[in-house]
Amino acid sequence: MAKADQRFGQRDGSDQNFDYMFKLLIIGNSSVGKTSFLFRYADDSFSNSFVSTVGIDFKVKTVYRNDKRVKLQIWDTAGQERYRTITTAYYRGAMGFILMYDITNEESFNAVQDWATQIKTYSWDNAQVILVGNKCDMADERVIPVEKGKHLADQLGFEYYEVSAKENINVRQVFERLVDIICVKMSERMDTDPSIISGAKTTRLTDKPTQLPQNCC
Amino acid sequence: MVQAMETINMSFLTDSERELILGVLNRDEELRRLEEQRVKRLKAELLDIRRKGAKRSNGNYSEHSCGRCQEPLGRLAANTNQCPVCKHKVCRNCRTVRANGFWLCSVCAKEADIKKSTGDWFYDQRVNRFSTAPGHDLVRASIRKRPPTKKRETTGEVLLNSPDLNSSQTLPVPRPRLKDLALGNKSPSSKHLQQSNTDLAENASLCSSRADSDSLSSTPSTQRNEGVNRLSGTDSTVLSMSSPIKTHSPSGSSASTETSSLVHQINTCPESLNDDDGLFKKSVRRVHKISDFKPVSVVDVRYDMTENTAASMGDRSKSVPGLNIDEEEEEEDIDNLVSIHRRTVGEGTTNLRGSSGTLGSMMSVYSEAGDYDIVDVSGDIVFSLHYDERMQSLSVLVKECRGLAYVAKKKCNPYVKSYLLPDKSRQSKKKTAIKRNTINPSYNERLKYSISRSQLMSRTLQLSVWHHDRFGRNAFLGEVEIPMDCHDIDSGQEECVTLQGKVGNSLTLSAFSQYKGELVISLKYVTETKAAGEKPRGKKAKVEDGGELHVLIKEAKNLCAMKAGGTSDSFVKGYLLPSTGKSSKKKTQVVKKTVNPHYDHTFIYKDVCLEYLKGMCLELTVWDREAMSSNDFLGGVRLSSGAVRLKEGKQEWVADSTGEEVSLWQKMMQFPDSWAEGSLPLRSSMGTRE
Repeated sequence: MAKADQRFGQRDGSDQNFDYMFKLLIIGNSSVGKTSFLFRYADDSFSNSFVSTVGIDFKVKTVYRNDKRVKLQIWDTAGQERYRTITTAYYRGAMGFILMYDITNEESFNAVQDWATQIKTYSWDNAQVILVGNKCDMADERVIPVEKGKHLADQLGFEYYEVSAKENINVRQVFERLVDIICVKMSERMDTDPSIISGAKTTRLTDKPTQLPQNCC
Repeated sequence: MVQAMETINMSFLTDSERELILGVLNRDEELRRLEEQRVKRLKAELLDIRRKGAKRSNGNYSEHSCGRCQEPLGRLAANTNQCPVCKHKVCRNCRTVRANGFWLCSVCAKEADIKKSTGDWFYDQRVNRFSTAPGHDLVRASIRKRPPTKKRETTGEVLLNSPDLNSSQTLPVPRPRLKDLALGNKSPSSKHLQQSNTDLAENASLCSSRADSDSLSSTPSTQRNEGVNRLSGTDSTVLSMSSPIKTHSPSGSSASTETSSLVHQINTCPESLNDDDGLFKKSVRRVHKISDFKPVSVVDVRYDMTENTAASMGDRSKSVPGLNIDEEEEEEDIDNLVSIHRRTVGEGTTNLRGSSGTLGSMMSVYSEAGDYDIVDVSGDIVFSLHYDERMQSLSVLVKECRGLAYVAKKKCNPYVKSYLLPDKSRQSKKKTAIKRNTINPSYNERLKYSISRSQLMSRTLQLSVWHHDRFGRNAFLGEVEIPMDCHDIDSGQEECVTLQGKVGNSLTLSAFSQYKGELVISLKYVTETKAAGEKPRGKKAKVEDGGELHVLIKEAKNLCAMKAGGTSDSFVKGYLLPSTGKSSKKKTQVVKKTVNPHYDHTFIYKDVCLEYLKGMCLELTVWDREAMSSNDFLGGVRLSSGAVRLKEGKQEWVADSTGEEVSLWQKMMQFPDSWAEGSLPLRSSMGTRE
């Protein structure tokens, strides 16, 4: 079987050249800037015009973190209510969430709690979340102070960033941080609990003492 | 999966929105296809590493040698050199230190790394989840479905569609997490309540939508509910499960199909089994004719060592008569196959013409499952290979065979079959014509494969010669395997190669030499509860048979694609050997159009004694459902405590379980009443030899 090593060796296409693949999801109210944020990160582009996302979309980008190439499939979701059934279906399987609000829009901030509940309800365990306040370039119209965002993030147990897709502030940092904390979570799971690796885990579901049948048959 | 899954109501989308979303879905599908290939490659790599040098459970190895490199170990550090995962004792050179300072043996370390690379560290947990269907499948399935006609709209759907539906928490589609439901301690009670409502709405809509789909693939979601009941024992889900059904009482004999299959499920909860066995059986009998689909199959396997086989057979046949009457007939060919195969294997003899009137490609199914007539291989095959750069295709010119072996009575109708391994799907299978009554057949046939050169380099061409028997079973006449990466495929030169017997001296090795995917299962031995004493009536009171073996078939991953479009319609079949009777046979429903099916189906073997499980063997095989011909074998696992000697009638054979097949089985026996879960690599053949 030594052959198999050669067989499956270095013959992948260029876009298959990565170590991990993470699926991320950007959620938040309509018009907080999720799509702009993604476009800034993936294409380094920005447009002032607003086009509402239909249902879902995604972009792919590979980052290099901690000596590993990580391919990101970043899902951009529609904030509008009417698409909610579609977007929540994508919560499962997502390893990381970027929960976004608009610092100039109080309603979007007030909705954060609801979004967090949605994540709790529909996502899988171990999904990591970063709270992001967008449009921090618009200081004049700010209604949510930094502290308030920070406080809420602490309450929810998320990390927190203020960003601007327009001015390209903290955009890359958010994604890289999210990749990092997913990597940490992964190591935690894989490098501390040996039972996970083997895949054969035994879980005790009953707490009553079990006796082997004494003289069966 | 897609068919049977809950769907999202997409009627609110306009056509152009639908188009847009479909476009995104297609891009996603392409990405996932690539990713699946990558994962498959990684797992094949791991399998290879795992095989290399590892101690096998049934081998004779010194206690004092390293489990990986087999170098002698020092005697002093005997207790400190055990790998925490595989429990092999390993030497210093075969260790890898991980983060947090603990170490693993090289193979387990590699396995951990591969779980990271494939994302399994994250995705594996989904098997413990209430809802396992990935979102993309769900959305895709839903978007394809036309909006329901008003006629069939039910309360559930009205609920789903109602515009004033409170948005954020009562969204009906993705299921709440098991944890939330089961524990309910983290979530405020109001939320909990809402989720139950959500479930209710879902179930209602499911019942209605089921009317559209065929009854065969009817109730996967309720099954999931049922699984949860068993796992968590919460009442809330039970309530929400039954509430949408009007006539769900077990005595409702005139129940509709949907209802009765639900009744069936509700009754198969272990609790109700213990409470009232008789009631359960009655309801099963009533149900079985209308529901040809059984979410949890419960049969007695009253296996008694002191009895002879015939007696236990009689006993077995009494239990739950004809539970799966409808499936029995169409499945008989597989049963035949399994039993014949085992007989052949047990005796090591040849030529058992047991199956009747099976023709054509069905034969290769038999051969794939490791069953065929064996003759002494002789002769050569003459062929030439040529790769056409322009057409991107490999052409295999099968010229002739010389001096083949006769099968019996001077019969030999040979044909040549080819595969580009590791692909054993239909696309990869090619055959020549059958030549009659000759051991020196001349074919001069070209078998063509469209494949890029770089892909071809990772393949192995397998040419096998078979005797075609119109009425009996085909016989294997020999084969050759030509790895493409170290072969001249440009010259087109004629080659003459001596035919070989089935490769691999040890079938254990060859059965795993091909990555066929994995099966994720969970085992639990349920000891007899205190209820035994309270059991009110009849013979049951005296039963000392022991408890039940629960086998939860969760999912399979990376199965071979047998159908066009790279999918399979698969199901899992189980036997608790040595019994091969109908009572021992269990099947899951067919999960269509996926190579990563979620079955979430529990086989329950009743009245099994823990003591006897040591001498038993659980065989699970995965099959691709073929409506018009026989099913195709996709792979299997054989769980037992190792080299167990099994007696089937007069035949005796030895189970060859290895690695996780053994460790999982032992874990199950070691910890009764708790689930032992594992992901087992599928064997490419169920053949076994002593």
